Amino acid sequence: METLIAIGAGIAVLTGIGAGIGIGLATAKATEAIARQPEAEGKISKTLILGCALAEATAIYGFIIGLLIIFFLQ
Amino acid sequence: MEELNCETVFTLPVIGGISESVVVTWIIMAVLVLLSVILVRNLRVENPGKVQLALEAAIGWAQDFFEGILGKENRRYFPYLITVLLFLGASNTIAPLCGFKPPTKDLNVTAALAVMSMCLIEYSGIRKNGLKHWAKHFAQPVPVVAPIMILEVVIRPLSLCMRLFGNMLAGFVVMELLKTVVPVLVPIPVSFYFDIFDGLLQAYVFVFLTALFMNEEME
Repeated sequence: METLIAIGAGIAVLTGIGAGIGIGLATAKATEAIARQPEAEGKISKTLILGCALAEATAIYGFIIGLLIIFFLQ
Repeated sequence: MEELNCETVFTLPVIGGISESVVVTWIIMAVLVLLSVILVRNLRVENPGKVQLALEAAIGWAQDFFEGILGKENRRYFPYLITVLLFLGASNTIAPLCGFKPPTKDLNVTAALAVMSMCLIEYSGIRKNGLKHWAKHFAQPVPVVAPIMILEVVIRPLSLCMRLFGNMLAGFVVMELLKTVVPVLVPIPVSFYFDIFDGLLQAYVFVFLTALFMNEEME
């Protein structure tokens, strides 16, 4: 049972893959955009931070589910 | 793992147990109130001091930031948003600065903040456009999306609450694990990232998203 719980928590944390890919793509595009239009840097970084926060939320949900699995299934 | 729990510090006769996060919140509140009383004394129009200049720069930055999102006509909401920004900035970075556990690591604190944000978001929409328009906007493009729009009222604060709580708890857990593995020197630069940078970023994101949702609601 213990092993299964650990495996389940590990699988829940796999959501981090999606957030990592998403934030990576967003940052790549943002650097491109800043290189093309350096004067729009303020707006671009504001939007980038917002997008990163929204994308990162999925990873955080996976982390919380992992914690809940560990604490409540024991 | 016992660091993860919020201990009860003392028990009041009627209300019950007062948890650690409440006490740390009281300390932060007291410090912020005292600072805001002390720092605004002796403000002058001519020949301002260094403290006044720093204060004006900080408040001016925050006001410009919210003005960019909400517009000039919604200045009434700025004091609340700046207060939440200050409180979250103080409480997220309190772990390395003062040694307390951050109160935002407790789900109850972030849930209360998110409920306050939810009330503010809906209130701003009702105040701007009237109750009728607010009730109607749930069926806005097509009536089919009404369940999703109603769900969004709850999901927005839920995601605000979970984002802040999850980030702070994750940073806290990583720092605790690192402190047990390597107690010397290594936690210092990592603490700068997880406690100070991430804490300030999450405070910024929390008020930014609240203001953005309010703006969306007021359209």
